[in-house]
Amino acid sequence: MFTILVLILAAAGVAIGYGLYARTIDKNIVQPDPKKATPAKMYMDGVDFTPASKNVLFGYQFKSIAALGPITGPIIAVQWGWLPAIVWVILGTFFIGWVQDYGAMIMGVRRDGDTMGALSYKLISPRARNILMLFLYFYLLLIMGAFGNAVGKVLMTNPQVPFGMLTVVLMGVLAGQMTYRWKQDIILTTIITVVISFVGIWVSTQPFMSNIFSAIFGLPDSPVWFLGNTQAQVIGTLLVVIFCYLGSVLPIWSYAQPINYVSFWIVSLGVLGGILGMLIWRPGIGDFPAFTSFTTASGPLWPMLFVTIACGAISGWHSLVSTSGTARQLEKETDALPVGGGAMFLEMVFAVVAFLTATVAWGSFQGYQDAGGAGKALAVFAGGLANFLSRLGIPTSFGTAYGSVFLTIMALTIMQLCVRFMRVASAELLGDSVPVMKNVHVGTTVALLLTLLFVWVIPWLTIWAAFGAANQLMAGLALMLISLWLMSEGRKNAWALYPSIFMIVTTIAALLYLAYTSFLVKLPAATTAQASIANILIGLIALTLVVAAGFLIADGWRALRRPRVKEAAEKA
Amino acid sequence: MEENQESLLKRLGRSAKEFLYGMAGHDMTRFALKTRGSMEHLFILITMGDLLGIPILPPYYSLRLLPYVVPQISTWKRRMLRERDLTDALA
Repeated sequence: MFTILVLILAAAGVAIGYGLYARTIDKNIVQPDPKKATPAKMYMDGVDFTPASKNVLFGYQFKSIAALGPITGPIIAVQWGWLPAIVWVILGTFFIGWVQDYGAMIMGVRRDGDTMGALSYKLISPRARNILMLFLYFYLLLIMGAFGNAVGKVLMTNPQVPFGMLTVVLMGVLAGQMTYRWKQDIILTTIITVVISFVGIWVSTQPFMSNIFSAIFGLPDSPVWFLGNTQAQVIGTLLVVIFCYLGSVLPIWSYAQPINYVSFWIVSLGVLGGILGMLIWRPGIGDFPAFTSFTTASGPLWPMLFVTIACGAISGWHSLVSTSGTARQLEKETDALPVGGGAMFLEMVFAVVAFLTATVAWGSFQGYQDAGGAGKALAVFAGGLANFLSRLGIPTSFGTAYGSVFLTIMALTIMQLCVRFMRVASAELLGDSVPVMKNVHVGTTVALLLTLLFVWVIPWLTIWAAFGAANQLMAGLALMLISLWLMSEGRKNAWALYPSIFMIVTTIAALLYLAYTSFLVKLPAATTAQASIANILIGLIALTLVVAAGFLIADGWRALRRPRVKEAAEKA
Repeated sequence: MEENQESLLKRLGRSAKEFLYGMAGHDMTRFALKTRGSMEHLFILITMGDLLGIPILPPYYSLRLLPYVVPQISTWKRRMLRERDLTDALA
């Protein structure tokens, strides 16, 4: 019954949030004009600026924004109890999430398809763009650290997972060859590669295969090898790093892109199967508490809950996709709401499903804790999904391996993109002073060494909180840009400005909390070099982000006051 | 009535197909377009001399390439003249 109630609540959130609130703002404030030429038409270059149907863009936007974030956040957040998590997912999307995605998209359309960097330069200040780039580099590094930690140190250490993952990667490479080299039919390619991937995942659950990986990982009692990490964790993270390295240096068509394509089917079928199993089962919440306590292992509910659940409620990443990617392909201004807002509301539903895998799939708080709890969020999801799939007659061991493989692939999809971006960013920012950074292999190696440092040294919950804070601060800044743009067009901006203030205040509080606990609580108590390095790193990153945000806010405040000052000067 | 229902079903089917394509294949199409854009840049580069009246390649090859290049000039100009920053690399 609880499952159905939560799904009804989510449906009501979509109906009222999208159908009423979002539509009213779209119609009365933004007033999109379907006859107005969009950048996709005005500046059509056959590459970045190309008009596409709103249905295609809806799928593209949703796939680009829905990665591990909406899955992991709610699973960690239920440590405060199920009520705060579900309330923030639904209300966060209702009042803030869609505002950012839709606002960034329509702003991009009205501002000639400008990127976030160009918009910061024009709407805030010239230095805002440079600060944003610095900010982005740290942000991506934190994504790498968080996802690398979750995948390399948890999922990959399960001996029933690596072979399945290797099979999917190899099938991706095969799909690339079949599509681009051998010019095979895409449907035939899809069927062959997806079916073999499933066979590979099944083989990975068989005792002979898992025994091989148990021996490689030194399981069941994997010895500690390096910086407190076990043999299994070190090998697991190195495997992740190798995949990312190949994703960064090999041509996209031969590696990263076809792997993403094959994994799309694996992930979609898993999610659909999970939802079907959940609807057949319709489990209750059991003794899972609505609220546990204000302070948990991740910190106090405010501000930490609001940075722990990022993508399921609001995420800065979406503003980058909305401006650089989708805004340049919109055929009509009126498509911005169904594409930007609609995809965000769909992601909210995705986050609700993830929330249910952490709660009802285990039936009790103890079950959630035994599955790994907040410390092993992805293992909780894989197990929860397996419990749902078992209602369709799929064995739990296969379901767990399947869930783990698809989470791993989802993480690697984003990580490959991040490493590529970090390589380009380091070449652009440092290439003139340190020419060797322009080398593809050097740039990639530097990015991956930094990633390994983060993954091996910083604890999971800490790095997730830092990543979430950077992500949400990015969202706050995107909302600030949207407010400034609305003001520059003489439109009401309270619907974007208040969410912006809330997000900026909350995330700066979260970053200051992280810096405080790192430097003043955990560092003095640290007994190992690893713990000391971890606390210094997180503390420094948190403070750097606060300072960078401080400059952006100061410039943003000046930009907000600019019209009033101008008006006063004109009156005088 | 039946016609309306049929067209509604057809519309729904087309929307679902496009949504699926958007999730699964639109990225690949965009990448193919980017690759084509890069190739166009190379073609324009090697025929630029002839476009400006300064023959660089032997005229025979230029004359064979020019008809393929000329229709792309306007989109090429837009791509070349557009200001870019790092966030362009993210999408």
